[in-house]
Amino acid sequence: MVKEDVLALGAESVIFKLERWNQAFVLKSRQAKPYLLEEIDSLLRKTRTARECRTLIIARTLGVRTPAVYSVDLNNYTILMDFIEGTQFKLLAEKLPERQLTRLCFKFGESIAYLHEGEVVHGDPTTSNVIVDNQQRLWLIDFGLSEMNATVEMKGVDLHLIRRALETTHWDRQESMLNATIEGYVAVLGDGAEGPLSRMNEIRERGRYH
Amino acid sequence: MALVCLGLEGTAHSFGAGIVTSKGKVLANEWDMLKPSQGGIHPREASRHHSDLGPGIICRAMETAGMGYKDINLIAFSRGPGLGPCLRTTATMARTLALKLDIPLIDVNHCVAHIEIGSLESRFEDPVTVYVSGGNTQVIAFAGGRFRTFGETLDIAIGNMLDVLGRYLGMEFPAGPLIEKEARAGRDFHSLPYSVKGMDISYSGMLTAAKKLVSDGVPIPDICYSVQETAFGMLAEIAERALAHTKKDELLLTGGVARNDRLTEILTGVSERHGARFHRVSPSLAGDQGAMIAWNGVLQYESGHEIEVESSYVLPKWRTDEQDILWRH
Repeated sequence: MVKEDVLALGAESVIFKLERWNQAFVLKSRQAKPYLLEEIDSLLRKTRTARECRTLIIARTLGVRTPAVYSVDLNNYTILMDFIEGTQFKLLAEKLPERQLTRLCFKFGESIAYLHEGEVVHGDPTTSNVIVDNQQRLWLIDFGLSEMNATVEMKGVDLHLIRRALETTHWDRQESMLNATIEGYVAVLGDGAEGPLSRMNEIRERGRYH
Repeated sequence: MALVCLGLEGTAHSFGAGIVTSKGKVLANEWDMLKPSQGGIHPREASRHHSDLGPGIICRAMETAGMGYKDINLIAFSRGPGLGPCLRTTATMARTLALKLDIPLIDVNHCVAHIEIGSLESRFEDPVTVYVSGGNTQVIAFAGGRFRTFGETLDIAIGNMLDVLGRYLGMEFPAGPLIEKEARAGRDFHSLPYSVKGMDISYSGMLTAAKKLVSDGVPIPDICYSVQETAFGMLAEIAERALAHTKKDELLLTGGVARNDRLTEILTGVSERHGARFHRVSPSLAGDQGAMIAWNGVLQYESGHEIEVESSYVLPKWRTDEQDILWRH
Protein backbone atom coordinates (compact mmCIF):
# COMPACT_ATOMS: atom_id res chain seq x y z
CA MET A 1 0.00 0.00 0.00
CA VAL A 2 1.32 3.42 -0.87
CA LYS A 3 1.21 5.93 1.93
CA GLU A 4 0.19 9.37 0.87
CA ASP A 5 -0.42 12.70 2.58
CA VAL A 6 0.23 12.85 6.29
CA LEU A 7 -2.94 14.32 7.74
CA ALA A 8 -1.72 14.60 11.30
CA LEU A 9 1.07 13.60 13.65
CA GLY A 10 -0.78 12.58 16.76
CA ALA A 11 0.55 11.73 20.18
CA GLU A 12 0.43 8.03 19.51
CA SER A 13 -0.02 7.65 15.78
CA VAL A 14 0.49 9.06 12.32
CA ILE A 15 -2.63 9.60 10.23
CA PHE A 16 -2.33 9.21 6.46
CA LYS A 17 -4.94 10.11 3.90
CA LEU A 18 -5.21 7.80 0.90
CA GLU A 19 -7.31 8.05 -2.22
CA ARG A 20 -8.25 4.97 -4.21
CA TRP A 21 -11.06 4.26 -6.60
CA ASN A 22 -12.36 7.79 -6.14
CA GLN A 23 -12.75 7.25 -2.45
CA ALA A 24 -10.80 8.68 0.47
CA PHE A 25 -9.45 6.53 3.28
CA VAL A 26 -7.56 7.07 6.48
CA LEU A 27 -4.67 4.88 7.49
CA LYS A 28 -3.90 5.18 11.17
CA SER A 29 -0.46 3.86 12.00
CA ARG A 30 0.89 3.48 15.51
CA GLN A 31 4.63 3.68 14.98
CA ALA A 32 7.36 2.58 17.37
CA LYS A 33 8.65 5.00 19.94
CA PRO A 34 12.30 4.18 20.56
CA TYR A 35 12.43 6.24 23.75
CA LEU A 36 9.95 3.94 25.52
CA LEU A 37 10.70 0.51 26.89
CA GLU A 38 10.03 -1.87 24.01
CA GLU A 39 7.76 -4.15 26.06
CA ILE A 40 5.53 -1.24 27.04
CA ASP A 41 5.54 0.34 23.60
CA SER A 42 4.57 -2.77 21.66
CA LEU A 43 1.91 -3.75 24.18
CA LEU A 44 0.34 -0.30 23.95
CA ARG A 45 0.45 -0.26 20.17
CA LYS A 46 -1.17 -3.65 19.95
CA THR A 47 -3.89 -3.20 22.58
CA ARG A 48 -4.84 0.24 21.37
CA THR A 49 -5.07 -0.79 17.75
CA ALA A 50 -7.29 -3.72 18.68
CA ARG A 51 -9.34 -1.65 21.07
CA GLU A 52 -9.88 1.16 18.63
CA CYS A 53 -10.99 -1.17 15.88
CA ARG A 54 -13.41 -2.98 18.18
CA THR A 55 -14.97 0.16 19.67
CA LEU A 56 -15.34 1.88 16.29
CA ILE A 57 -17.64 -0.99 15.37
CA ILE A 58 -19.45 -1.33 18.70
CA ALA A 59 -20.13 2.41 18.86
CA ARG A 60 -22.15 2.13 15.65
CA THR A 61 -24.38 -0.50 17.19
CA LEU A 62 -25.01 1.97 20.03
CA GLY A 63 -26.14 4.68 17.65
CA VAL A 64 -22.93 6.73 17.40
CA ARG A 65 -21.47 7.57 13.99
CA THR A 66 -17.92 6.32 13.48
CA PRO A 67 -15.78 5.72 10.38
CA ALA A 68 -16.20 2.27 8.86
CA VAL A 69 -13.21 -0.01 9.35
CA TYR A 70 -11.89 -1.85 6.28
CA SER A 71 -8.93 -3.68 7.69
CA VAL A 72 -6.79 -3.93 10.75
CA ASP A 73 -3.22 -5.17 10.87
CA LEU A 74 -2.12 -6.11 14.38
CA ASN A 75 1.43 -6.90 13.26
CA ASN A 76 2.00 -3.47 11.80
CA TYR A 77 -0.39 -1.71 14.15
CA THR A 78 -2.47 -0.07 11.45
CA ILE A 79 -6.18 0.47 10.81
CA LEU A 80 -7.65 1.37 7.46
CA MET A 81 -10.93 3.24 7.74
CA ASP A 82 -13.23 5.71 6.02
CA PHE A 83 -12.12 9.28 5.67
CA ILE A 84 -14.89 11.47 7.08
CA GLU A 85 -15.41 14.63 5.08
CA GLY A 86 -15.95 17.44 7.56
CA THR A 87 -14.35 19.76 10.09
CA GLN A 88 -12.85 19.03 13.45
CA PHE A 89 -15.29 20.21 16.11
CA LYS A 90 -12.37 21.94 17.83
CA LEU A 91 -11.79 24.21 14.84
CA LEU A 92 -15.47 24.74 14.14
CA ALA A 93 -16.24 25.73 17.73
CA GLU A 94 -14.14 28.86 17.42
CA LYS A 95 -16.24 30.23 14.60
CA LEU A 96 -19.82 29.18 15.25
CA PRO A 97 -22.51 31.44 16.63
CA GLU A 98 -23.74 30.54 20.09
CA ARG A 99 -26.94 28.74 19.11
CA GLN A 100 -25.31 26.47 16.55
CA LEU A 101 -22.48 25.75 18.93
CA THR A 102 -24.73 24.72 21.81
CA ARG A 103 -26.79 22.57 19.44
CA LEU A 104 -23.64 20.66 18.45
CA CYS A 105 -22.55 20.38 22.08
CA PHE A 106 -25.97 18.94 22.90
CA LYS A 107 -25.42 16.32 20.20
CA PHE A 108 -21.93 15.64 21.53
CA GLY A 109 -23.42 15.02 24.99
CA GLU A 110 -25.99 12.68 23.42
CA SER A 111 -23.27 10.70 21.62
CA ILE A 112 -21.25 10.25 24.79
CA ALA A 113 -24.44 9.20 26.58
CA TYR A 114 -25.20 6.54 23.92
CA LEU A 115 -21.74 5.10 24.51
CA HIS A 116 -22.18 5.18 28.27
CA GLU A 117 -25.60 3.60 27.94
CA GLY A 118 -23.83 0.70 26.27
CA GLU A 119 -21.24 0.58 29.07
CA VAL A 120 -18.55 1.99 26.79
CA VAL A 121 -16.31 4.99 27.56
CA HIS A 122 -14.50 6.90 24.85
CA GLY A 123 -11.39 7.54 26.95
CA ASP A 124 -10.30 10.73 25.18
CA PRO A 125 -13.48 12.72 24.49
CA THR A 126 -11.99 16.02 23.35
CA THR A 127 -13.35 18.29 20.64
CA SER A 128 -10.35 17.21 18.50
CA ASN A 129 -11.88 13.76 18.33
CA VAL A 130 -15.23 14.85 16.93
CA ILE A 131 -15.80 15.58 13.26
CA VAL A 132 -18.79 17.58 12.09
CA ASP A 133 -19.92 16.85 8.53
CA ASN A 134 -21.70 19.27 6.21
CA GLN A 135 -25.08 18.04 7.42
CA GLN A 136 -24.14 19.01 10.97
CA ARG A 137 -23.83 15.37 11.99
CA LEU A 138 -21.24 14.32 14.55
CA TRP A 139 -18.71 11.53 13.97
CA LEU A 140 -16.58 10.27 16.85
CA ILE A 141 -13.03 9.12 16.18
CA ASP A 142 -9.88 8.09 18.03
CA PHE A 143 -11.05 5.25 20.25
CA GLY A 144 -7.58 4.04 21.27
CA LEU A 145 -8.22 4.72 24.95
CA SER A 146 -11.80 3.42 24.96
CA GLU A 147 -12.97 0.77 27.39
CA MET A 148 -15.87 -1.62 27.69
CA ASN A 149 -17.80 -2.70 30.79
CA ALA A 150 -17.58 0.86 32.03
CA THR A 151 -18.22 1.59 35.70
CA VAL A 152 -19.69 4.83 37.09
CA GLU A 153 -16.13 5.88 37.89
CA MET A 154 -15.00 5.39 34.29
CA LYS A 155 -17.98 7.35 32.98
CA GLY A 156 -17.24 10.09 35.51
CA VAL A 157 -13.66 10.27 34.22
CA ASP A 158 -14.97 10.54 30.65
CA LEU A 159 -17.12 13.53 31.64
CA HIS A 160 -14.25 15.04 33.61
CA LEU A 161 -12.10 14.83 30.48
CA ILE A 162 -14.74 16.67 28.48
CA ARG A 163 -14.76 19.46 31.03
CA ARG A 164 -10.96 19.53 31.01
CA ALA A 165 -10.85 19.76 27.23
CA LEU A 166 -13.34 22.64 27.19
CA GLU A 167 -11.37 24.41 29.92
CA THR A 168 -8.03 24.22 28.12
CA THR A 169 -9.16 24.65 24.54
CA HIS A 170 -12.42 26.61 24.57
CA TRP A 171 -11.85 28.71 27.68
CA ASP A 172 -13.94 31.66 26.54
CA ARG A 173 -17.01 29.53 25.81
CA GLN A 174 -16.46 26.65 28.21
CA GLU A 175 -19.48 27.30 30.39
CA SER A 176 -22.16 27.31 27.72
CA MET A 177 -20.45 24.42 25.93
CA LEU A 178 -20.29 22.31 29.07
CA ASN A 179 -23.89 23.07 30.00
CA ALA A 180 -25.18 22.13 26.56
CA THR A 181 -23.11 18.94 26.54
CA ILE A 182 -24.49 17.93 29.92
CA GLU A 183 -28.03 18.71 28.77
CA GLY A 184 -27.58 16.36 25.84
CA TYR A 185 -26.12 13.74 28.15
CA VAL A 186 -29.04 14.01 30.57
CA ALA A 187 -31.59 14.00 27.74
CA VAL A 188 -30.49 10.49 26.82
CA LEU A 189 -29.74 8.99 30.21
CA GLY A 190 -32.30 10.73 32.43
CA ASP A 191 -31.80 9.74 36.06
CA GLY A 192 -28.97 7.50 34.95
CA ALA A 193 -26.86 10.60 34.33
CA GLU A 194 -26.76 11.51 37.99
CA GLY A 195 -24.10 9.01 39.09
CA PRO A 196 -21.51 9.85 36.42
CA LEU A 197 -22.14 13.60 36.75
CA SER A 198 -21.61 13.71 40.50
CA ARG A 199 -18.51 11.53 40.02
CA MET A 200 -17.22 14.08 37.50
CA ASN A 201 -17.25 16.77 40.17
CA GLU A 202 -15.64 14.48 42.72
CA ILE A 203 -12.78 13.53 40.38
CA ARG A 204 -11.86 17.14 39.80
CA GLU A 205 -11.04 17.57 43.47
CA ARG A 206 -8.76 14.55 43.72
CA GLY A 207 -5.04 14.50 43.13
CA ARG A 208 -4.65 18.17 43.85
CA TYR A 209 -2.12 19.31 46.34
CA HIS A 210 -4.26 20.15 49.34
CA MET B 1 18.06 50.76 37.97
CA ALA B 2 17.07 47.14 38.29
CA LEU B 3 14.61 46.28 41.02
CA VAL B 4 15.57 43.68 43.62
CA CYS B 5 12.97 41.21 44.82
CA LEU B 6 13.16 38.92 47.84
CA GLY B 7 11.01 35.83 47.34
CA LEU B 8 9.87 33.46 50.07
CA GLU B 9 8.79 29.92 49.23
CA GLY B 10 7.09 27.71 51.78
CA THR B 11 4.26 25.64 50.35
CA ALA B 12 5.29 22.23 51.66
CA HIS B 13 8.39 20.62 53.15
CA SER B 14 10.92 23.21 51.92
CA PHE B 15 11.49 26.78 52.97
CA GLY B 16 13.45 29.00 50.62
CA ALA B 17 14.54 32.59 50.27
CA GLY B 18 15.74 33.88 46.91
CA ILE B 19 16.90 37.27 45.71
CA VAL B 20 16.47 38.10 42.03
CA THR B 21 16.80 41.31 40.07
CA SER B 22 14.31 42.59 37.51
CA LYS B 23 16.92 41.71 34.87
CA GLY B 24 16.51 38.07 35.86
CA LYS B 25 19.80 37.70 37.71
CA VAL B 26 19.66 35.30 40.65
CA LEU B 27 21.75 36.86 43.44
CA ALA B 28 20.91 34.32 46.12
CA ASN B 29 18.86 31.17 46.48
CA GLU B 30 18.99 29.53 49.90
CA TRP B 31 16.73 26.80 51.17
CA ASP B 32 16.27 23.94 53.57
CA MET B 33 14.14 20.85 53.21
CA LEU B 34 12.48 19.08 56.12
CA LYS B 35 13.39 15.41 56.13
CA PRO B 36 10.96 13.53 58.35
CA SER B 37 12.71 10.83 60.39
CA GLN B 38 9.86 8.48 59.55
CA GLY B 39 6.64 8.55 57.56
CA GLY B 40 5.44 11.42 55.40
CA ILE B 41 5.28 15.17 55.88
CA HIS B 42 3.06 16.47 58.65
CA PRO B 43 1.81 19.99 57.84
CA ARG B 44 2.30 21.19 61.40
CA GLU B 45 5.86 19.90 61.63
CA ALA B 46 6.67 21.45 58.27
CA SER B 47 5.29 24.83 59.29
CA ARG B 48 7.34 24.66 62.51
CA HIS B 49 10.40 23.89 60.41
CA HIS B 50 9.68 27.05 58.38
CA SER B 51 9.18 29.29 61.40
CA ASP B 52 12.27 27.89 63.16
CA LEU B 53 14.64 28.04 60.20
CA GLY B 54 13.01 30.67 57.96
CA PRO B 55 14.55 33.82 59.48
CA GLY B 56 18.05 32.27 59.38
CA ILE B 57 17.57 31.25 55.74
CA ILE B 58 16.48 34.79 54.83
CA CYS B 59 19.58 36.20 56.55
CA ARG B 60 21.78 33.74 54.68
CA ALA B 61 20.26 34.82 51.37
CA MET B 62 20.91 38.48 52.22
CA GLU B 63 24.53 37.67 53.03
CA THR B 64 25.03 35.65 49.85
CA ALA B 65 23.62 38.50 47.78
CA GLY B 66 25.79 40.94 49.75
CA MET B 67 22.80 43.14 50.47
CA GLY B 68 21.13 44.97 53.27
CA TYR B 69 17.35 45.18 53.71
CA LYS B 70 17.35 48.71 52.33
CA ASP B 71 18.45 47.26 48.97
CA ILE B 72 15.29 45.16 48.68
CA ASN B 73 12.51 46.77 46.60
CA LEU B 74 9.88 44.03 46.55
CA ILE B 75 8.71 41.10 48.69
CA ALA B 76 7.07 38.12 47.01
CA PHE B 77 5.67 35.03 48.72
CA SER B 78 4.14 31.72 47.74
CA ARG B 79 0.44 32.26 48.32
CA GLY B 80 -0.56 28.76 47.23
CA PRO B 81 -1.30 26.03 46.42
CA GLY B 82 0.10 24.09 49.33
CA LEU B 83 -0.30 23.04 52.92
CA GLY B 84 -2.25 25.65 54.93
CA PRO B 85 0.01 25.90 57.99
CA CYS B 86 3.14 26.18 55.83
CA LEU B 87 1.60 28.85 53.62
CA ARG B 88 0.47 30.90 56.62
CA THR B 89 3.88 30.80 58.30
CA THR B 90 5.60 31.92 55.11
CA ALA B 91 3.03 34.62 54.37
CA THR B 92 3.43 36.00 57.90
CA MET B 93 7.15 36.47 57.35
CA ALA B 94 6.55 38.15 53.98
CA ARG B 95 3.90 40.51 55.34
CA THR B 96 6.08 41.48 58.28
CA LEU B 97 8.98 42.32 55.98
CA ALA B 98 6.77 44.28 53.58
CA LEU B 99 5.29 46.36 56.40
CA LYS B 100 8.58 46.87 58.19
CA LEU B 101 10.45 47.85 55.03
CA ASP B 102 7.42 49.63 53.58
CA ILE B 103 7.74 48.00 50.16
CA PRO B 104 5.20 46.27 47.86
CA LEU B 105 4.01 42.75 48.67
CA ILE B 106 3.34 40.37 45.76
CA ASP B 107 1.42 37.10 45.91
CA VAL B 108 2.79 34.35 43.71
CA ASN B 109 1.28 31.08 42.51
CA HIS B 110 3.76 28.30 43.25
CA CYS B 111 3.10 26.34 40.04
CA VAL B 112 3.27 29.41 37.82
CA ALA B 113 6.57 30.35 39.49
CA HIS B 114 8.05 26.97 38.55
CA ILE B 115 7.18 27.58 34.90
CA GLU B 116 8.47 31.14 34.82
CA ILE B 117 11.86 30.43 36.41
CA GLY B 118 12.20 27.51 33.99
CA SER B 119 11.38 29.81 31.08
CA LEU B 120 13.94 32.32 32.35
CA GLU B 121 16.67 29.69 32.49
CA SER B 122 15.82 28.02 29.17
CA ARG B 123 14.89 31.24 27.35
CA PHE B 124 11.81 29.40 26.18
CA GLU B 125 8.99 31.68 25.16
CA ASP B 126 5.93 29.49 25.29
CA PRO B 127 6.65 25.96 26.50
CA VAL B 128 4.56 22.97 27.38
CA THR B 129 5.70 22.36 30.95
CA VAL B 130 5.92 19.00 32.68
CA TYR B 131 5.93 19.81 36.38
CA VAL B 132 6.72 16.80 38.53
CA SER B 133 7.37 16.85 42.26
CA GLY B 134 6.35 15.29 45.54
CA GLY B 135 3.02 17.06 45.49
CA ASN B 136 2.39 17.89 41.84
CA THR B 137 2.19 16.09 38.54
CA GLN B 138 0.88 18.44 35.88
CA VAL B 139 1.26 19.21 32.21
CA ILE B 140 0.68 22.92 31.82
CA ALA B 141 0.67 25.33 28.88
CA PHE B 142 -0.27 28.95 28.32
CA ALA B 143 -3.52 29.57 26.45
CA GLY B 144 -6.00 32.42 26.46
CA GLY B 145 -4.31 34.58 29.08
CA ARG B 146 -3.78 31.84 31.63
CA PHE B 147 -1.69 28.78 32.33
CA ARG B 148 -4.01 25.85 31.72
CA THR B 149 -3.58 22.40 33.17
CA PHE B 150 -3.88 20.09 30.18
CA GLY B 151 -3.24 16.96 32.16
CA GLU B 152 -2.54 15.91 35.70
CA THR B 153 -2.66 12.98 38.05
CA LEU B 154 -6.12 11.88 39.10
CA ASP B 155 -4.84 10.51 42.39
CA ILE B 156 -1.27 10.74 43.73
CA ALA B 157 1.69 12.78 42.51
CA ILE B 158 4.63 10.98 40.95
CA GLY B 159 7.08 12.06 43.67
CA ASN B 160 4.67 10.95 46.35
CA MET B 161 4.25 7.61 44.59
CA LEU B 162 8.05 7.12 44.51
CA ASP B 163 8.37 8.11 48.18
CA VAL B 164 5.64 5.72 49.30
CA LEU B 165 7.19 2.89 47.30
CA GLY B 166 10.60 3.82 48.71
CA ARG B 167 9.30 3.69 52.28
CA TYR B 168 7.88 0.28 51.51
CA LEU B 169 11.33 -0.81 50.32
CA GLY B 170 12.98 0.64 53.43
CA MET B 171 14.52 3.64 51.66
CA GLU B 172 15.02 7.08 53.13
CA PHE B 173 13.08 10.18 52.09
CA PRO B 174 13.24 11.37 49.35
CA ALA B 175 13.31 7.99 47.67
CA GLY B 176 13.40 9.12 44.02
CA PRO B 177 17.20 9.23 43.65
CA LEU B 178 17.61 5.82 45.33
CA ILE B 179 14.93 4.27 43.14
CA GLU B 180 16.68 5.71 40.08
CA LYS B 181 19.97 4.15 41.18
CA GLU B 182 18.41 0.72 41.81
CA ALA B 183 16.56 0.87 38.49
CA ARG B 184 19.84 1.04 36.59
CA ALA B 185 20.61 -2.48 37.76
CA GLY B 186 17.15 -3.76 36.79
CA ARG B 187 17.01 -6.59 34.25
CA ASP B 188 13.54 -8.10 34.15
CA PHE B 189 10.56 -5.94 33.36
CA HIS B 190 7.35 -6.73 35.22
CA SER B 191 4.18 -5.42 33.67
CA LEU B 192 2.32 -2.92 35.88
CA PRO B 193 -1.02 -1.15 35.41
CA TYR B 194 -0.56 1.60 32.84
CA SER B 195 -3.29 4.17 33.30
CA VAL B 196 -3.71 7.07 30.90
CA LYS B 197 -7.13 8.70 30.67
CA GLY B 198 -7.21 11.36 28.00
CA MET B 199 -4.41 13.66 29.13
CA ASP B 200 -4.71 12.57 32.76
CA ILE B 201 -2.92 9.76 34.51
CA SER B 202 -3.34 7.67 37.61
CA TYR B 203 -0.60 6.12 39.73
CA SER B 204 -2.39 4.46 42.63
CA GLY B 205 -3.13 1.19 40.80
CA MET B 206 0.47 0.95 39.68
CA LEU B 207 1.71 1.58 43.21
CA THR B 208 -0.49 -1.17 44.64
CA ALA B 209 0.76 -3.61 42.00
CA ALA B 210 4.38 -2.61 42.65
CA LYS B 211 3.93 -3.25 46.36
CA LYS B 212 2.66 -6.69 45.47
CA LEU B 213 5.87 -7.35 43.53
CA VAL B 214 7.74 -6.60 46.75
CA SER B 215 5.78 -9.19 48.70
CA ASP B 216 6.23 -11.64 45.82
CA GLY B 217 9.97 -11.42 46.35
CA VAL B 218 10.86 -9.73 43.04
CA PRO B 219 14.38 -8.21 43.27
CA ILE B 220 14.34 -4.51 44.21
CA PRO B 221 16.23 -3.34 41.08
CA ASP B 222 13.64 -5.02 38.85
CA ILE B 223 10.79 -3.39 40.76
CA CYS B 224 12.37 0.05 40.53
CA TYR B 225 13.12 -0.45 36.84
CA SER B 226 9.55 -1.56 36.08
CA VAL B 227 8.03 1.28 38.10
CA GLN B 228 10.18 3.94 36.45
CA GLU B 229 9.55 2.71 32.92
CA THR B 230 5.81 2.49 33.49
CA ALA B 231 5.38 5.73 35.44
CA PHE B 232 7.57 7.77 33.08
CA GLY B 233 6.01 6.16 30.02
CA MET B 234 2.61 7.39 31.17
CA LEU B 235 3.98 10.86 31.81
CA ALA B 236 5.64 10.93 28.41
CA GLU B 237 2.37 10.04 26.78
CA ILE B 238 0.42 12.91 28.31
CA ALA B 239 3.26 15.32 27.58
CA GLU B 240 3.16 14.11 24.00
CA ARG B 241 -0.61 14.52 23.86
CA ALA B 242 -0.25 18.10 25.09
CA LEU B 243 2.47 18.85 22.51
CA ALA B 244 0.43 17.36 19.68
CA HIS B 245 -2.69 19.17 20.84
CA THR B 246 -1.21 22.64 21.42
CA LYS B 247 1.33 22.42 18.58
CA LYS B 248 3.84 24.28 20.74
CA ASP B 249 7.52 23.65 20.04
CA GLU B 250 9.17 23.80 23.44
CA LEU B 251 9.05 21.22 26.22
CA LEU B 252 10.16 22.18 29.71
CA LEU B 253 10.78 19.69 32.53
CA THR B 254 10.75 21.03 36.06
CA GLY B 255 10.04 20.13 39.70
CA GLY B 256 11.99 17.88 42.07
CA VAL B 257 11.52 14.75 39.93
CA ALA B 258 13.13 16.57 36.97
CA ARG B 259 16.44 15.38 38.42
CA ASN B 260 15.72 11.89 37.11
CA ASP B 261 17.93 11.09 34.11
CA ARG B 262 15.73 8.36 32.68
CA LEU B 263 12.69 10.67 32.67
CA THR B 264 14.82 13.29 30.94
CA GLU B 265 15.93 10.79 28.32
CA ILE B 266 12.34 9.76 27.56
CA LEU B 267 11.08 13.34 27.29
CA THR B 268 14.02 14.22 25.05
CA GLY B 269 12.77 11.50 22.72
CA VAL B 270 9.24 12.90 22.87
CA SER B 271 10.55 16.35 21.93
CA GLU B 272 12.52 15.01 19.00
CA ARG B 273 9.50 13.20 17.60
CA HIS B 274 7.54 16.45 17.60
CA GLY B 275 10.35 18.70 16.47
CA ALA B 276 10.32 20.56 19.78
CA ARG B 277 13.21 21.90 21.80
CA PHE B 278 13.70 20.37 25.24
CA HIS B 279 15.04 21.79 28.46
CA ARG B 280 15.43 20.29 31.91
CA VAL B 281 15.57 22.95 34.59
CA SER B 282 18.77 22.68 36.63
CA PRO B 283 18.32 21.18 40.11
CA SER B 284 18.86 24.44 42.00
CA LEU B 285 15.95 26.05 40.14
CA ALA B 286 13.78 22.97 39.61
CA GLY B 287 12.97 22.18 43.24
CA ASP B 288 10.97 24.36 45.60
CA GLN B 289 13.02 27.50 46.24
CA GLY B 290 12.71 31.24 46.69
CA ALA B 291 14.34 32.45 43.47
CA MET B 292 11.33 31.36 41.43
CA ILE B 293 9.00 33.23 43.76
CA ALA B 294 11.20 36.33 43.54
CA TRP B 295 11.37 36.20 39.74
CA ASN B 296 7.63 35.72 39.43
CA GLY B 297 7.20 38.60 41.87
CA VAL B 298 9.19 40.81 39.51
CA LEU B 299 7.09 39.78 36.51
CA GLN B 300 3.85 40.42 38.35
CA TYR B 301 4.97 43.74 39.80
CA GLU B 302 6.16 45.01 36.44
CA SER B 303 2.79 44.15 34.92
CA GLY B 304 1.14 46.29 37.58
CA HIS B 305 0.12 43.76 40.21
CA GLU B 306 0.70 43.87 43.96
CA ILE B 307 -1.43 42.96 46.95
CA GLU B 308 -2.46 44.72 50.15
CA VAL B 309 -1.42 43.01 53.36
CA GLU B 310 -5.06 42.99 54.52
CA SER B 311 -6.16 40.88 51.57
CA SER B 312 -3.11 38.62 51.34
CA TYR B 313 -4.74 35.55 52.90
CA VAL B 314 -3.28 32.27 51.64
CA LEU B 315 -4.91 30.07 48.99
CA PRO B 316 -4.17 26.40 49.75
CA LYS B 317 -6.24 25.23 46.76
CA TRP B 318 -5.19 27.92 44.28
CA ARG B 319 -5.51 26.36 40.85
CA THR B 320 -2.92 27.14 38.20
CA ASP B 321 -5.61 28.40 35.82
CA GLU B 322 -7.21 30.79 38.29
CA GLN B 323 -4.68 33.57 37.82
CA ASP B 324 -4.67 36.03 34.92
CA ILE B 325 -1.12 36.05 33.56
CA LEU B 326 -0.74 39.74 32.85
CA TRP B 327 2.86 39.59 31.66
CA ARG B 328 2.32 37.09 28.83
CA HIS B 329 0.47 37.62 25.58
